[in-house]
Parts: sequence; C-alpha cells; structure tokens
Amino acid sequence: MLKYLMKRSGIYLIMIFLTTSAGYFLAVSSLKPAVLEQEKIPRPTPEQVAASFRGLGLDPDLNPWERYIQWLGGIITRWDWGRSPNGAFVNAEFADRVMVSTRLFIASIILTLVIGVALGVYSAARQYKFQDRVITSYSYLVHILPAPIAYFLVQLGAISINEAVGERIFFVTGISTPGIEPGWPAFVDLVAHYAVPTFAMTIFGWAGYQIAQRQYLLDNVNADFVRTARAKGLTRNQAIRKHALRVSFIPVAQSIAFTIPAIFTGGFFAEAIFAWPGIGLWSIQAISLQDVNVATATLAYGSVIFAIGAILADFATTLVDPRVRVQ
Amino acid sequence: MSTNISHTPAERLRDAGLYAPGDAVLSVRDLNVRFNSENGVVHAVRGVDFDLMPGKTLGIVGESGSGKSVTSMAIMGLLPETADISGSVRFKGKELLGLSDKAMCKHRGNDIAMVFQDPLSSLTPVYTVGNQIIEALTVHNPTMSKQAKEARAVDLLRMVGIPSPKDRLKAFPHEFSGGMRQRVMIAIAIANDPRVLIADEPTTALDVTIQAQVLEVLHTAQEETGAAVVMITHDLGVVAGMADDIMVMYAGKPVETGTVEDIYYNPRMPYTLGLLGAVPRVDTATKQSLVPIEGTPPNLALPVTGCSFAARCPLVSDACLHGEPELFSVPGVEGQTLGHKAACIKSDELSGNADAHRIFHAPPKPVSKFDGVARVEREKVLELKDVKKHFPLLKGALIKRRIGTVKAVDGLSFDIREGECVSIVGESGCGKTTTLLEIMEFHPDQVGEVVIGGVSNKVATDHKTTMAMRKEMQMVFQDPTGALDPRFTVYEVLAEPLENLGMPKAAIRKRIMELMKLVGLQPDHVNRFPNQFSGGQRQRIGIARALAVNPKLVVLDEPVSALDVSVQAGVINLLDKLRAELGLSYLMVAHDLSVVRHISDRVAVMYLGKIVETGNVDDVFDNPRHPYTRALLSAIPVPDPNLERTRERIILQGDLPSPLDAPKGCNFATRCPVFAALPAAKQEKCLTLEPPLASEKEGAQDFACFFPDGEIDADMLVVHA
Repeated sequence: MLKYLMKRSGIYLIMIFLTTSAGYFLAVSSLKPAVLEQEKIPRPTPEQVAASFRGLGLDPDLNPWERYIQWLGGIITRWDWGRSPNGAFVNAEFADRVMVSTRLFIASIILTLVIGVALGVYSAARQYKFQDRVITSYSYLVHILPAPIAYFLVQLGAISINEAVGERIFFVTGISTPGIEPGWPAFVDLVAHYAVPTFAMTIFGWAGYQIAQRQYLLDNVNADFVRTARAKGLTRNQAIRKHALRVSFIPVAQSIAFTIPAIFTGGFFAEAIFAWPGIGLWSIQAISLQDVNVATATLAYGSVIFAIGAILADFATTLVDPRVRVQ
Repeated sequence: MSTNISHTPAERLRDAGLYAPGDAVLSVRDLNVRFNSENGVVHAVRGVDFDLMPGKTLGIVGESGSGKSVTSMAIMGLLPETADISGSVRFKGKELLGLSDKAMCKHRGNDIAMVFQDPLSSLTPVYTVGNQIIEALTVHNPTMSKQAKEARAVDLLRMVGIPSPKDRLKAFPHEFSGGMRQRVMIAIAIANDPRVLIADEPTTALDVTIQAQVLEVLHTAQEETGAAVVMITHDLGVVAGMADDIMVMYAGKPVETGTVEDIYYNPRMPYTLGLLGAVPRVDTATKQSLVPIEGTPPNLALPVTGCSFAARCPLVSDACLHGEPELFSVPGVEGQTLGHKAACIKSDELSGNADAHRIFHAPPKPVSKFDGVARVEREKVLELKDVKKHFPLLKGALIKRRIGTVKAVDGLSFDIREGECVSIVGESGCGKTTTLLEIMEFHPDQVGEVVIGGVSNKVATDHKTTMAMRKEMQMVFQDPTGALDPRFTVYEVLAEPLENLGMPKAAIRKRIMELMKLVGLQPDHVNRFPNQFSGGQRQRIGIARALAVNPKLVVLDEPVSALDVSVQAGVINLLDKLRAELGLSYLMVAHDLSVVRHISDRVAVMYLGKIVETGNVDDVFDNPRHPYTRALLSAIPVPDPNLERTRERIILQGDLPSPLDAPKGCNFATRCPVFAALPAAKQEKCLTLEPPLASEKEGAQDFACFFPDGEIDADMLVVHA
C-alpha cells in the first residue's frame, strides 16, 4: 500500500510540475502588469515601472524562459513563490487564503455528500412515488439554477428572517465580527457567520450526488445478484440494502473524490457573494490584476488538490470494490 | 372438442383446483401471470397446473417467451409487484400466493430454493463467496454459531466439488470461473436442505464439458438433500436423462405433460413432435434435414381465440381456430404421476409412430454437385499453413513487463475444399474465434500463411488483392441483431456490399430481389428495418448479405446459437440448401456439437490453440481417438431418455488451465482422463513431449495423443444406472 502511494504520488508530482510550469509560461506571456501601472496618477515612466518590477522579481525585459528559471529557482532554493506587482509576498497570503476556503467549504462538502447519497437511496427505493418525484425534481431544478442567483436568494431569506425577528441573527457576508471577545461570544459569532453560506451551498449542492446515487442504485435494484439474495430469503429491502447499495456506491465514491477539488478551486462565486476571501476568489482576482505569480500559485494548489482527490478516489474504490486491487 | 376423452373424478377435482395429491411438495393450480406493458396487458402465463412429488424431477421445456421462467419466478414470489398473479401455488398444502414479501422469505431459500441462468451476474461482486453462502444460513438459522456456519459452508463447497473449500471461502466471485460460480450458486441453493429446488436454465451459459460437471453436481445435490427439482430448459437433451416428468410449454400454457418416455417416444402434440425433430442428434449419422417449425409464437398481448400453435401447425383445421384446446388425457397411455396429457384436438392422429419429417414437410436432403467428387480432386478454397497468434501477457502500469504468452492460436494448418463444410469446435478460450479473426485479418505480417481462393496473405500488399479476397470470402455473425445496423433498411444492408463492388443501381435492385428469395424472405419486405423481423429472419438477412457478392467461402461464427430450437432448424436447413445449390464452402465455428455433426463434412477439435483431432465428421464423432474429443462428445446430452440414463459420461476435472502455467508436453495432460490413469513412467512422456497431429492409418482422422486407447480414469467416468 505504501509503495503504491509513493508511486502514485511520484507520478502526480511530475504531473503537477508539468501543469504548473505550463501555467507559468501561459501566465508570463499573457499577463502584463505594466499595463495597469500606466493607470496610476502620476503616471510612472516605463523605466520606473521596469525598475520597480525588477526589484520584485518580475523583470518585464527578461524572456519567459529566463523568468521561469528565476521563478523556479526561488521556489526550489527558498520555497519562495514570488511576489505580486504590489510587492506582497505570495507565501504570506497563501496560507490564510487556503484556511478561509477550507473553513468555508468543509462542512458543506460533508453535509452535501451525506444528504445527497441518503436522498438518492431514499428516492431510488420509492421510484416514481410522490417522495421520489419531489426530491428528484428539486435536484433537476437546482441543476439549472445558476449558483449566484441561488446564493442571493438564500441571503435574502436570511435577511428577512433577521428583519422578522428584529435582531441580526445571521450574518450574510464576512467571516467574523472584528474585535469580538474570545470564548462563547466568538463561537456564537462564528456560527452566525457560518450558517448562511453552509446552508446555501448544501441545499444547492447535493443535487448531483442525489441524481447519481439514485440512478446507480436503480441500475442495481433489479440486478441478478439482488434476485439471488432474495431467493436466499432476504426481503426485497434487505437485499437492496445489503447487496445493491454497496455495488451502486462504487461509481459514486469515485465521483466524490473528483468533485471535492472542483469545489475548492471553483468556489469563487460562493467566496465572492459571501465575502469570504479564499483561494478561488484570489485566483480570479490574480488574473484581473495581471498577477503572474499568484495565478500560477493558485493553479499549482488546484493541481495538488486534484492529485489528492485522485488518490482518494483510488482509495475509495479499493475500499468498496474488492475486484480492484492496489498494486 | 372431443368428448370421448374420459375424465376421472380425481382429475376433475384436480382441474377445478380442489384436489391435489396429499404427498405433493409443490402443487400449482391454474397459475396465471399478467404484466402491464406499453402494448397492453401481456398474459405471460396462462393456466399452469402441476404437482411435484418429493425427490422427483420435473422438466419444464419451452422456447424463449413460453412463460417457463415467469412460472418459476411466480412460484418463488420474485416477480415485480406490478405483475398480476392468480391461481394457487401450494407448498406442502400451504398457499404461497398472496403472501407478503416478508412472509414469503420464510420459504424462499429454506423450503424452495433456486439456481439461476447466468452465474456470472448472479453473485454479488463485492462480497466473498463464503459471506454469501453464510448469509443464506444466517437468514434461516439466526441462532447458529459462527463456527457451525463456517463448517457448513465448507461442507457445501466440498459437496459441489470446489477444491480446497476452506481457502476458497475467502475468495471473491470474480476469482471463480463461470462453472465454479454456478457450483457456488448450487451450494447456496441447497444450504438449508430445501424440499424444492428450481433450476432455471442452469447450464445454458456454460461450455459443454462444464455443463456436464454442473449437471453432475445438481444430481449429487438432489441425492444429498432428497429435494424435488424443477428443471427449466430449452434444451431437450439436458432434461432427457434427469427428469421424471416433462411439461412442454408454448405461449404461456402447458401444451403437453407426461413422463419422459411419454414425451420423447410418444409425443401427441404437433409442437412437441416438431421440437423433437428440430434438434439435430450428436450420436447418429443420419443426414436427414431437420424439422422446421415455420412462423413465430403468438403475441400474448392479444387475446388467444384458438389453439395458440395453430398459426405454425401443419395439421391445422378450422376446428383448431375456435376455442383453445385444454389439456386432456391421451387415451391408451394411463398411469404415472401426471398421466400423459396433450392440448391438441388431433392428438389421436399422432399416436403410434408419427413422422415429424412428413408432418412438418421437412425438405429433402439437398444434393450438391460436389457430392460425387472425391475430396482430393476438389479445389482448395482456403488453406492455413502453420498460423500462429500469440498475445504477450503484460504486467505493470507505466512500464510493462512481459510475464508470459497467451498462445491463442498455436500452429494451425488445415484446408477447406469446394463444397464442404469444416467446423472448428472446442470450449470457449480454445482459440476458435481468434482463428477466424486471423483468417479475416489477411495481412502479410501475420505468422503463417493464409491462402484464400488461391491468393496468399503474403502477397496481399495492396488494397486490390485484399478486395479480391473479400469477394471470395464473407462472414455471418453470431448475434443477428447486433450485426445489422438498426437504421439501415434491409435494402440498404444488402446493397452496401454490392455498391462497394461498383455494381450499377438496376443490377443491385435485381440482385437484392434474388437474394431475398434465395434466403426465404419476402422480396417486398426490403424496405423494412431489422427490428421488424424475428431473430431467425434477421439471421437470414445476415446470410443474404454474406451471399450478396457471390463468395465461394462463407465463414459462420456460431450462426444459430442465438436462435430458438424451432427457428434454428429452419436456418440450418437453409444453410444446407444454399451450400448444395450454390456450391459454397463453409468454415463454421460452433459450440453445439449436434449442429456441427448435422451440417459439417469435416471437423477440427481445438484445445488451447491447437488442433487435437481432425478428420471426417463421422469418423471423429463415431470413433473419437483423442481423450478430449471423447470427453467432449460424452458430455453432450442426447434427447433420448433411455440412452441418456445408461450412457457413460466422462466428466473432466476443472477448467481450461491458465495460459501462464501451460504444460510443456501435451496441453491436455492437466485434465486428461487417460493421463490420470497412466502409470508414472508413461505419464512422463505426456509431460515432456508434445504429441504430433497424425493419423493411425490412411484415410482416418488425425489426432494428437500418445495413448489413444488408454483406460479412462475411474473417477472421471460416471454412469447413472
């Protein structure tokens, strides 16, 4: 197992290196921070701009290959991912951003998964009955509803609750109230900030799992081996629970591992709307600010998360499917 | 309806559903099953009655759609809730129909157990075999200790013949071959000593040698548990030796019931008679054409007004179309448990020695212009010289390592002359299909030489030569539905090869009409799509397509294995006729040796990529020399109960060996019944030297064995007296 992990990690490291390098070349040749400097008042001369960028390690006069070597050298020798055009160090902000994203998404990822799979099983067991129709129609509706609109609706709902009660129970934006006392008040404040985004992302997030789990389970409900189990003397529900469920979970387990990285790196709508400045928002901002190093760093982070997801998917599959052997 | 048929009081009560023999374990009365479908209500089972006595075997025989499987599922209570089931199913006098799923669970797997058709999909892939056997024990014996259950599971696996059962408990289904999985299914079924064991086509998905093993296991299981068995099958051979009573079903209704002797030797329903005549026999050389049953079974979504078989029956008269005949006792032959009954108003006419060939107007055996010509004087249409196809067996994800070689085809040489049919037979995995693919490949880089119509693959360097070869040889595939483009009309299907040849439009049209007539289809059906035809008609379209370009050689890959028995006979007769009329040669691959014997002139028996025996079909089948051929032939059930009960059967042990541990000497040594009985000194020869393919005397078949006259190991020889 350890050997397998090492091998897979090695392969993914190479892939991360390649994607990050390719991303760097793309960024360095398309993003031109000097253009934005021209909008400053007083307008700096091109020489001044070049000199200030040279100090930040963003020398616009070097060709992409030379800048790549310089950038890579910094990472390898000092673990320094470079600086933004405004002089900020990427390393300094990176950890904070990752923490914000992780805190924002972790609860809703778990809730989405559990609720989605459970509802998938529930609706499959009641195929075409009222409950199934409601649950599955809801999932399809959510699928066609754009995330920003959905999140705004939840925010409006939270605001009207606040107004109805006459007191601010929920915060619809932000991470925490500045200057709050530690201890109980800090915890209440955290929950008040946390509730709205988690609720929004969860109720609009489980649709994919619900539809997939329902479909895979229905594919297996009439499988020959379920019939065998019933012929042994298990009731229909017992046979489905014990035999069909686990088999139907195999493809879902694989998809879970691949959707997690997508949430982490693609969650900029949620981060923007709820004002949690995480890594997704950062990557979008980096492009509009022509920030080569931040754009590359977020890309590298995405690749790492994706590699972890892929290894998790392998793990999950081996766990539920004995036919797959890790070697 | 005839009124002279006597009805005993017991029978009348029985038919009214009031009386059943007290000692019957399972009594089914007036069982009806209806399904709601998009095309209306399908009446899939229409009044099935039978009584099953303890320890007896009832064979239910019928073609696809005859309602035999639905009957068994209704008894087990495994039909979907939407199915409308009426009638009565009583187990030891207790009514089972109408029980809730939960109440039924007390009986399922405990009193009545079932073995299903497809062993590959019938076991849950994510649980160990032991887990699945123990589950069956746990459901009905919640208090049994874990050790006791494990010990019982090991016993069961041993009983069904799985080697080292203790270790195999922890194996997963995918680590077992199909035959082994079916053994596990049987072990699960008999785990709680059921009184009734229902086997639904238990061997249909298996090779003949494995089929023989599994039937043997079923036999043992029945002896060990004393259960009554319901054996559902389409194969009249499989039940001949096993069953005590037979029920023939057609269009959801039993049309004839009786003891095996009644049904096989004195059939009184034209359908039964036709079925028996439609199956070729592996044990006789009579080259009569088969009995074709024209037409297709009725659509059960429509109400049945007359006899359901009337549309296909050669004896049909007006009386048959008014009112469906009931099962009536056949006069003269009385007795046994069921009594001989037939649902035909003309059953009297069929008494004595009714000749199915005459009644069904079987065509005469066609005569080919080549029949009088000696084989050596005919031209060779196909010749294979030392053809080999080896696949490397690789391991590793990124860097592949070669850990062995699969010798799919290992030095094959044979030829086909004008007007003859050569068949390749063997178990799955022996290289039959690879051989066909190698012939179709026709590329200079192949190992060995393939000569088709005088053109060798070694000179096939340009497109023109390959095209010339394709014109000489065409192929008919196993699955007629998959082989036809569903969005092409029959006209387009048949026109495609002709257009490739650059034929003018008018000539194509004329040729297509010719082809339709040739294969026995109505020419005005050319604008229909394949899905508007039945399976047999689709295979005829496939044959017409192959014949479009006037080939000399047609390659037939399992041409009838996807078809029902009655339809199969028509297609075989057609192939026979075409060969004689057009002077075609066939290369056929088939697993059904009865069909092979019927249609072929020569046969090649393959085992692990090599021909082990080849020669004239009658020589090989009547006097097999290689132990593998002997085992193969003895494994095929014959539709003749008396013969079947006394036949000696060679039951091979195990499955095909993995190509990784292929033996050095004779390939077959690991499973050989002769080898097992040889003294060690002689065994040495088999293990070190490869036997050459040679004949003993001029004109006889070639075979590859050092000890063709050796004794068969007693353990592998089975006779049921």
